[in-house]
Amino acid sequence: MLYVEQLRVAVGDSLILDGVDLEIGEGEVHVLLGPNGAGKTTLLMAIMGMPGYRIVGGRIFFQGKDITYLDVEERARLGIGMAFQKVPTISGITLRSLGRIILEKRGIADSLEEIAERVNCLYLLDRDVGKGFSGGEMKRAELFQLLLQRPLFSMVDEPESGVDLDSIALVGRALRELFERDQVRTKKRAGLVITHTGYILEYLNADQGHVLVNGRIVCSGNPRDLFADIREKGYGECARCER
Amino acid sequence: MKIQEEYFRGLREKAEKALTKKASFGPDIDLSEFYLCSPQERIGDIREVGDKLKEAALYAGVELESEKAATYLQVDRSAVYEKVQKAFEGKLEIMSSRKALEKYPELIEYWWSLVPVDADKYTAFAELCPTEGYFIRVFPHVKVDLPLQACLLVSETARVQSVHNVVILEEGAEINLITGCASVRGAESGVHIGISEFYIGNNARLTFTMVHNWGESFHVRPRTVAKLGKNAFFSSTYVLLKPLASIQAFPQVILEGEEAQATFQNIVFAKGDSYIDLGSTLLLKNKGCRGSSISRVCAMDAAQVFARGRLIAFHDDVQAHLECKGILFSDRAQIVSIPELEVHGAPKARLSHEAAVGPFEEEAVNYLRARGLKKEEALSLLTQGFLNLDLPGLPQALRQYIEEIIRVTSRDVL
Repeated sequence: MLYVEQLRVAVGDSLILDGVDLEIGEGEVHVLLGPNGAGKTTLLMAIMGMPGYRIVGGRIFFQGKDITYLDVEERARLGIGMAFQKVPTISGITLRSLGRIILEKRGIADSLEEIAERVNCLYLLDRDVGKGFSGGEMKRAELFQLLLQRPLFSMVDEPESGVDLDSIALVGRALRELFERDQVRTKKRAGLVITHTGYILEYLNADQGHVLVNGRIVCSGNPRDLFADIREKGYGECARCER
Repeated sequence: MKIQEEYFRGLREKAEKALTKKASFGPDIDLSEFYLCSPQERIGDIREVGDKLKEAALYAGVELESEKAATYLQVDRSAVYEKVQKAFEGKLEIMSSRKALEKYPELIEYWWSLVPVDADKYTAFAELCPTEGYFIRVFPHVKVDLPLQACLLVSETARVQSVHNVVILEEGAEINLITGCASVRGAESGVHIGISEFYIGNNARLTFTMVHNWGESFHVRPRTVAKLGKNAFFSSTYVLLKPLASIQAFPQVILEGEEAQATFQNIVFAKGDSYIDLGSTLLLKNKGCRGSSISRVCAMDAAQVFARGRLIAFHDDVQAHLECKGILFSDRAQIVSIPELEVHGAPKARLSHEAAVGPFEEEAVNYLRARGLKKEEALSLLTQGFLNLDLPGLPQALRQYIEEIIRVTSRDVL
């Protein structure tokens, strides 16, 4: 579904990603691990096509189509979505009205309230997007929008950060729903999730993990094994392993 | 009667002396270039109003045929229609201010009592060449759920309409008043002078929404002062979405009674070559008074906007906030934000202000694009949110019209 080839991305004058290769198949969910500043968020932003993340080399293919230089909204329309780590405040626009617009874009009439209830966002619906949201509220509001958007390929940046342990289960359920992890045969939706703590792996049976260090994927494999190794040896070992 | 005659003679003398007095702000207008607007015939039934007038009223926020507690319609020089719904007869009155002065000679106590007749040439002109205006009186403890509406239209070109409005809310009264002022399609130039004096008694509440929709060569000079009694409440929302030649207004609220509260909200979409100088002054005079003045301005093309705000505290236990936010859509447009905070012998008074002028945050635009919105859709949505058009009692058709203007304008900007 997603194929990233030798991707090099700069932000301002700094080269952040330096030759990332990544392939995620239909129905697969991958997790992305890595130390702070490794370029994890940059990779997600570049795949989403966010302005400011300048592709200076390599290519991105989505469902066989080269999307390297497509605008962000065109990528969203093709079926790529993202739950952001940092959300801007949209004054005067409630989560409900943005939710309605997202549903209108899809041309369907899903029950907004029902979905909001599943991610404990009902009480946030009439608040301005991002305004005064706590860390956990921010995460749930992001997942709520993705559930409305139903992208074929979703990227989620640190779903468990700022979320208390009770809410992690809820976030985990939302991710399972987003990636159709409980479906057996018709599983098509895929995704890439950044995790720091690995808690989310308890809820999300991810197919593969990747370790990003210094702008390159240095290791790929079973996400639980990778995480266990990192817990034991730290990311320093990954950097050495790369050499 | 003699007292009244003497009072008016005194007013006229003062006005004559001020006829050439320029206003402190805004471009000076030579009123001699304009004729006074013409008288118009009265209308027996609101359904008889012509389509062009109805359309002009609607775009100024007034649905003439909708159910309202009371309606006042003025076209050019004449009050052509006034009606109080049966359910509210005996509870409130609405009529032309000229008729009110005849009915209540004692009204002179309220006539130019808040706005000085010699403030400038426009107030002077309104006294010397008056063209009606509305009088609304709401009796004590009458609470009206349905909005009242007043509509002042100009149907001729190159004319002056100079109205004088007086609103009196007696103790404990509550109303929601929508006033729409507009020129009718085809009447592209002229002057509208509007004197408004609002008396809001103890525990009374006035929610006031004013929508302006003028031709591109219109000059508008409102002069408004409101006075609030104990625990009274005044909310004023002003909406301007169409280009005009110039508007200059600096309304004032005097929070006289304890615990009085006032809020101003100005929503301005400045287009074309519009010269817009709008502000508000809050005089916080008593214990527990609270106030806020919020302005939202979108400036495009070559529009020039001055957003003024003045908070004046006379008591320690007062609090007020001034907020001006502006978005520029063009490098030829200009927004000047001028906040003033004054404290007179009240060192514990709490006054604050916040101002920001600039474009929308790229981050917010891109965030919405990542949700699948095109760039112009994202800008339009942000503009709508910025202007926060959640106005009480606004007709659905006007709300849609406003949204459409914003949508089209945002698209044009790109």
